Amino acid sequence: MLVIKNLKASINNREILKGLNLKINPGEVHAIMGPNGSGKSTLANVLSGKNGYKISGEVKYLGESLNDIPVEERAQKGIFLAFQYPLEIPGVNTNNFLKTSLNTIKKARGEKEIDTIAFLKLVKDKAKELGIDEKILSRQLNVGFSGGEKKKNEILQMKILDPNLIILDETDSGLDIDALKIISDGVNSSRSEKKSFLVITHYQRLLEYIKPDHVHVLSDGKIIKSGSSDLALELEKKGYKKLN
Amino acid sequence: MNENFKISPSEINKIKILNQKDKNFRLENLKLFNQQGFPSRSQEDWKFSDINQIFSKNFKNLESFKNEIKPKSINFIKEFDHNHILMVNGKLENSEFKFEDKNKIKIKSYNESNFSINKEENSLINLNNALSNNGLFLEVVDNYRFEKAIIIYNIFTDDLKDNLLNNKNKIILGKNSELHIVEYNINQSKNKFIYNTTENVILNENASLKTINLQANQNEGFFYKFSKGKMKSNSNYASFIFSSGPKFNKIDAEFDLEGENCDCNIKSALFINKDKHQEIKTKINHLVPNCKSYQKIKSVVDAEGKGVYQGKIYVKDIAQKTNAYQLSKALLLSENSEFNSKPELEIYADDVKCSHGSTSGSVDENSIHYLMTRGLSKKQAIRLLVNGFLNEIIGDIKSNSIRKFIENKIEIQIHGY
Repeated sequence: MLVIKNLKASINNREILKGLNLKINPGEVHAIMGPNGSGKSTLANVLSGKNGYKISGEVKYLGESLNDIPVEERAQKGIFLAFQYPLEIPGVNTNNFLKTSLNTIKKARGEKEIDTIAFLKLVKDKAKELGIDEKILSRQLNVGFSGGEKKKNEILQMKILDPNLIILDETDSGLDIDALKIISDGVNSSRSEKKSFLVITHYQRLLEYIKPDHVHVLSDGKIIKSGSSDLALELEKKGYKKLN
Repeated sequence: MNENFKISPSEINKIKILNQKDKNFRLENLKLFNQQGFPSRSQEDWKFSDINQIFSKNFKNLESFKNEIKPKSINFIKEFDHNHILMVNGKLENSEFKFEDKNKIKIKSYNESNFSINKEENSLINLNNALSNNGLFLEVVDNYRFEKAIIIYNIFTDDLKDNLLNNKNKIILGKNSELHIVEYNINQSKNKFIYNTTENVILNENASLKTINLQANQNEGFFYKFSKGKMKSNSNYASFIFSSGPKFNKIDAEFDLEGENCDCNIKSALFINKDKHQEIKTKINHLVPNCKSYQKIKSVVDAEGKGVYQGKIYVKDIAQKTNAYQLSKALLLSENSEFNSKPELEIYADDVKCSHGSTSGSVDENSIHYLMTRGLSKKQAIRLLVNGFLNEIIGDIKSNSIRKFIENKIEIQIHGY
């Protein structure tokens, strides 16, 4: 699904990712853990195609190099990033946005666009699964949403857009236990042989709910250790410092 | 320095004039205009919109009058029930009030009756006094509330070219009366011309007037409108300005809050593209205590466009408990786009709440990125953000059918981006 070889990324002449290697097969869930400043969010940004980074190395998605692929085409090809801090977009109705997004992606894939009635049913079903109050979907995108609502809205978008590679950037931050459980259930029910997940997190807590196949430790722009889900537990006990 | 445009007094002979007093009034006003010419940047009120320069760049000759011709077919609005008034090149053509009690409405062509001559700081008013021979007089009697909105179809015919049209309107709402006007400008001319309007609005006790100013299309017209309003106690004025489209447009509104507990609202959402130039200028005079005023101006400027907002709030010493708020926000989509804002507060009372704010900047890159990660192209993302930015104003229109109509119109405007 995703192969990263010797990925380096710098911004404002500061190197953040310093030669990162990672391979994710279809159906796998990988977790990346690491202390603040280790480059976790940079990795998420770079995979999404965000501008402003100077990049070297290779990122291949489904066998194709992503190096020159712009942000929206990555999304259209099935890469989804759930933001750590979803942006508030004033004046843009959440439902309208979701429909525009879904239909743009469908169109790019040569699929038939969804009509309003079918769309509203889809949203309603998915929102219900995630315990999202339908009312917020007719409000402005993320404006005035609580932290939990914003994160649930990210997962709702993931469910509606139905991507192949899902990057969850600190999706657990700012969530209470109930919201964490709902969001994890939402992710777990989307797991399939065809989908892969990259779960970026500070804490082991999220990984109790979303069980990863592999855990990697990111430190100073490199993966310094990889292992099974037990590695997360070890980190929780010992902290990141012991590993260095 | 540009040579001032001079208008020959013989132009006045082309107007059907009722009496010598009227003729004299026009000649004197023309003299005052010719002394000053069109306003230029040397005047504070015109420093961002030097129309002396703009007009001399765009016009060699200006012809003040036109033979009357019929407009081409008009696309009347079908999306919602409404009464209508049809104005052609500033002249009242016909009206229909099929949803109303016609006895409660007085409508006729406007004639000036106040012939006092003043040298105006704004020479366009003198010009208007000298040459306007058309307009709308609309009065709603006391205690009458309109069932449906009136759409004023302001049609400009396709033969207009290098013309200077002047028109005067007067709208009076009686006590406890209520009216909703949509002023819909349809410009059929592909050429340049100038349209100079002066409008008087009088809202008596407890009257309520809502207005929406909307342009149907992109065009080459140069529009100036001066609105002077007087508000008696407990009256309510709410105006929405969606005037994008013409080559040049300046809307200049001055409202006197003369009675207590008035509420004066002016909101605007503009999309200024190409090399278009739009200015909104407001002056709200709080002359008595306990009134509220609110101006919220949102502008999106693309390409070589230029946007201006000049807003002044004046609070007289006795106007305690005034609550006045003014906000201008602009989004610049291109390096060549320009927006100028000049907020001014002049406050002589000590127990008031007054504030103003002004921001301008480009579209937030992180927001664009967020939307692009959901599959939208950069252009689509910006368009959505622009739409959202302007929707905050449109969303305040209470009537669902009118709001939807305006939303569509604005979306079409932005689609050109």
